[in-house]
Amino acid sequence: MTTSAGGRSTAAIVVEDATKVIDGVTVLDRVSFSAQPGRVTAFLGPNGAGKSTMLRAILGIDRLTSGRTMIGGRPFREHRRPIEVAGALLTPDSAHPRRTARGHLAVVATSNGLPQASVERMLDLVGLGAIADLPVGQMSLGMQQRLGLATALVGDPAVVILDEPHNGLDAAAIRWLRGVLRALADAGRTVLVSSHLMSEIELVGDDIVVIGGGRIRAASTLADFLGDGPGTARVPLEDRYLELVGEL
Amino acid sequence: MRSAWRAELLKITTVRGLWLSAVLAAVAIPTTSLLVVSTGGLGARDTATSGAATGSLIGLLAYGAWGATFAAGEYAQRTMVVSLATVPRRAVLYAAKLAATATAAAAGAVVASGVALLTVLAVTPRGEHELGNPAALIGVVLAVVAVAVCGTAVGMLTRSPSGSIAIVVVALLAPKAASGLLGGLQRWVVGASPDTVITQIVGGAQLPAEQAFPHGAWAAAATMVLVGAAVSVAGFVSFLWRDG
Repeated sequence: MTTSAGGRSTAAIVVEDATKVIDGVTVLDRVSFSAQPGRVTAFLGPNGAGKSTMLRAILGIDRLTSGRTMIGGRPFREHRRPIEVAGALLTPDSAHPRRTARGHLAVVATSNGLPQASVERMLDLVGLGAIADLPVGQMSLGMQQRLGLATALVGDPAVVILDEPHNGLDAAAIRWLRGVLRALADAGRTVLVSSHLMSEIELVGDDIVVIGGGRIRAASTLADFLGDGPGTARVPLEDRYLELVGEL
Repeated sequence: MRSAWRAELLKITTVRGLWLSAVLAAVAIPTTSLLVVSTGGLGARDTATSGAATGSLIGLLAYGAWGATFAAGEYAQRTMVVSLATVPRRAVLYAAKLAATATAAAAGAVVASGVALLTVLAVTPRGEHELGNPAALIGVVLAVVAVAVCGTAVGMLTRSPSGSIAIVVVALLAPKAASGLLGGLQRWVVGASPDTVITQIVGGAQLPAEQAFPHGAWAAAATMVLVGAAVSVAGFVSFLWRDG
């Protein structure tokens, strides 16, 4: 962890030679990449490419067969107050359906010694204040995604990891999320986001990592990936991406 | 660790089904005692204290099932992923979960035992039964906590609420039910089972000699705690193996 000029703690995500074998199948094959502070890094790949497994491994939820992942220079689980280092939205249905949004965030905040004020701040940020006492099971998928985002951000972390956060969001919420992602990166946070929504990634991404068949297919700035330079025509992200990973 | 423990307690209090079932488990203890006493179920050698403990088996079953549901429910409801991401140190998360279960079960058992004793004293005719040693009701608290913690560990092992409840129920009832099959082991196995430990500590009801633990009530309690610790370690090893 380092401290930026603005006083905010920053931390890069570093993945080195990550390999994961499940029941003889290589899900991740010597994957290496990094995500830097102040940038939105898009993590793209087809279904089953190993994106979610990689994100879970970065957070220490899944164990790698070999290789290592670090946030702020050390494995995530070695940080003393982890949710102030990295917050994650991995699946929208990870809150107990009978617990309220406020209760869910209170559990998360309390687990790291954060005050109730951080819960209220997050509820307001994601626009769930009015329905904070509704059981999560009665919320729409979009609302659950917002709660998942609040869960990721409640610790005001240096790193934000979001696995397909656009799922279930309506047009207004997608635009809102775009602003949130940009603001998070502009504030010096490291944002790693997986998505299948190429148009959104094209609008908000700074860097891109493409994974396919468990291997890194590309890792560069988005501009370089799209051939966006002097004298070259910019290729739409969807075309460039499908060219790389193949179509159905 | 303290923050993680408080978060686990908050998990219980923020889901109505969880806190309500813990309360009902506590209510079951004095309610059963009341039923036993009011229907003339106390023997001549029973004391008010042993009468207060007559509902303990129901309490043990209820708290064991509750602990199992609390832990296995994290997997059934898919909330474990958030727990692992917010408290990534497995030992801290596991210890916090067991400690929260123990805290809630102890609080419930203390109140339930006290209310059960007062209920028995209120219902039985004055002088019909001696008071006994109310401090022995600590045995009920000890057994309830041990069973609830075991239930939680089994829940982490099986990850299935129904499966872990079934294991807890069988583990509590099988020793006595199958005592005839145990031969010389009967005194060790039945004698150290939670229900029998309580009976030995509070006294009163006659326990067949072949079911009394060889080295006395407190040795039986210590053995019960050791078994609980072993089950807890097994739960932790399983947790590390699958979620490490």
